[in-house]
Amino acid sequence: MNVEITDLTRRFGRNQAVAGVSLQAGPGVFGLLGPNGAGKTTLLRMMATVIPPTTGRLRLLDRDPATYGPRREVRRRLGYLPQNLGYYPGFTVAEFVEYFALLKEMPAARVPAAVATAVERVDLGGKAKAKLRTLSGGMLRRVGIAQAIVNEPELLLLDEPTAGLDPEQRVHFRALLRELGQRATVVVSTHLVEDVGAACTQVALMDQGRVVFDGTPGELTARGTEQGTGDAPLERGYTAVLAAARA
Amino acid sequence: MDDDDLVARVAAGDDTALRELFGRHAPWLAVRLRAVLPAADVEDVLQETFLAAWRGARGYRPQGACGGWLWGIARRQAALILRRRGPFTPAGQAGAALAAGLPAGPDGSDPADIALARADLEVAVATLGPEGSPDREVWRLMYEQDRPVAEVAELLGVPPGTVKSRAHRVRRLLRAALRVPEGGMW
Amino acid sequence: MSGLRNDAPDDVDLGRVWISVAAQVWRRQPGWLERTAGRLLRSPGLARALLTTPSLLLPWLLTSVVVLAAGAAATTDIGQPLVALLAPAVAAAAIAYSYGPGIDPAWELACSMAVSDRMVLLVRALAVFAVNAVLGLAASAVSAVSVSGPANGTAAAVTFGWLIPMTAVCAFALAVATVARSANAGAAAGVAAWLIIVLSGRVASGHFASAVTDTVLFLPYLAIGAGCVTVALCATRIPRGTL
Repeated sequence: MNVEITDLTRRFGRNQAVAGVSLQAGPGVFGLLGPNGAGKTTLLRMMATVIPPTTGRLRLLDRDPATYGPRREVRRRLGYLPQNLGYYPGFTVAEFVEYFALLKEMPAARVPAAVATAVERVDLGGKAKAKLRTLSGGMLRRVGIAQAIVNEPELLLLDEPTAGLDPEQRVHFRALLRELGQRATVVVSTHLVEDVGAACTQVALMDQGRVVFDGTPGELTARGTEQGTGDAPLERGYTAVLAAARA
Repeated sequence: MDDDDLVARVAAGDDTALRELFGRHAPWLAVRLRAVLPAADVEDVLQETFLAAWRGARGYRPQGACGGWLWGIARRQAALILRRRGPFTPAGQAGAALAAGLPAGPDGSDPADIALARADLEVAVATLGPEGSPDREVWRLMYEQDRPVAEVAELLGVPPGTVKSRAHRVRRLLRAALRVPEGGMW
Repeated sequence: MSGLRNDAPDDVDLGRVWISVAAQVWRRQPGWLERTAGRLLRSPGLARALLTTPSLLLPWLLTSVVVLAAGAAATTDIGQPLVALLAPAVAAAAIAYSYGPGIDPAWELACSMAVSDRMVLLVRALAVFAVNAVLGLAASAVSAVSVSGPANGTAAAVTFGWLIPMTAVCAFALAVATVARSANAGAAAGVAAWLIIVLSGRVASGHFASAVTDTVLFLPYLAIGAGCVTVALCATRIPRGTL
């Protein structure tokens, strides 16, 4: 198990963003669904060790990230793509990816090949030395994905990774996810329900800080056969579960 | 964008041009190298070839012979890699020959070198024209099959004088073709 | 490079070959300064973070040099130790533009890195402070030669005394920049605070330079500085949730 979360909560002032979440994830692609404000981003941030939990137990890659040493070890093996990732306009694609490879303390000798691999994997080989300010939104998103995967992470956290990608790029991205999920735990937080269904082996649905569903995409689809609304099977399961949770 | 323009852009430091060049030429270079080298060596040679092309593109004279230029670099890199293997003992050559699937040369010369030379020759002969064309036929009959001029003239249905002049042209063309990789900066 | 595989022999991995070529073609060669910093700090990532500090880049440094040089030159005309009065403000602005959410568009990502953001803060702030101190001292030494006249305080106080208020003002600028998540706010706050100090010194004792030369103030300066540093550290410990 790469991720073991038990009764995790996170509070900001009076707002309980995450109100008691328990999850386990091993290798594979894990989808995190839910409406805006459900707490997905906060949960992802805690898994990325960006913010500490208020209460509860968090174990990442068999380590407790509460202390500095293990947290650093986790971060070396981590890949994170935040929902809003800014960029340094004067950097090139390769420089940006390399910068974060160095900050993840990758051995310097391995960095050039790792950067080249990551850039080609997100299909930006023709733009490696282009300045970031010349790229479109979708390309910038792919640059973000490249920095997340450059160190071949064991735990990869992606927050809305397909924002700005056209359908063809999304297909390519899902193939990348499946490939990465063979060895690593990939957690994808997304609005796009059908995105999830195609690539994920496990799905969790969050609402108002809690997990209201945890199972396979097939099981989620099954929940939608009677009551869900929506055009596609997963969407129906999604709405059915949400309706039941709020009832 | 034709090959000469690509190489010019590579010389100017454009890495996307190198990428395009790689996409166009690496496959056939790999095929030709694979005929004489094991796969791991082919990969090494290709890597060194394109890095050398990246560094040395300024020395390329645009004459539409980009493929020949790249093959020349590849050939040299292959020779370097083979030479780096160490001193050539007869046992070593036999071992290498077995590994490459080639018969060892009778005088102990490096079989891979012979194979590379053979590959070079095939390329040069191909410049004479498609199979069945007059020059190729003269080459095949006179030099591969070692027939006398009179016999070749009869087989082709042309006067011996024509055969002799074609043979002369064939030799000239082959000399030129075999020399092209040697030109430029190497 | 998907079209490659079709024509090539099956056991030759052209994708991998291209990656090894691209690794060399796309790689960035760090300069001697970065390599030395990497060895000293024992972290190439930290060195790169240090050398990409916005306020350590050449345009910024040149601007600082120009401002301080102008101060040094004008000191002879005006008779006030302009360098001592300018240096803290220049440094405060530089500190505000060195680190943190106000200046780093990839701030949240930086908080998930093995090279911790606190380390980057420490190294950048120290470097910026040191660079500005050196620039200020150089300008001060140049102008101390020409400062003469009454009631400007002892030469030593004028030449060095501004370092302590500079520490306080820098810490204040950094605290505001991190709490407000804005480098501009931090710079403005630092400069404004210094302006207020200088003017109130003028009002209190009749000299502009008393903000710098009045040794009674040193302890309060340092205390404020320590407090601001604490604020900055707290503000950078937990990025506020709803970013």
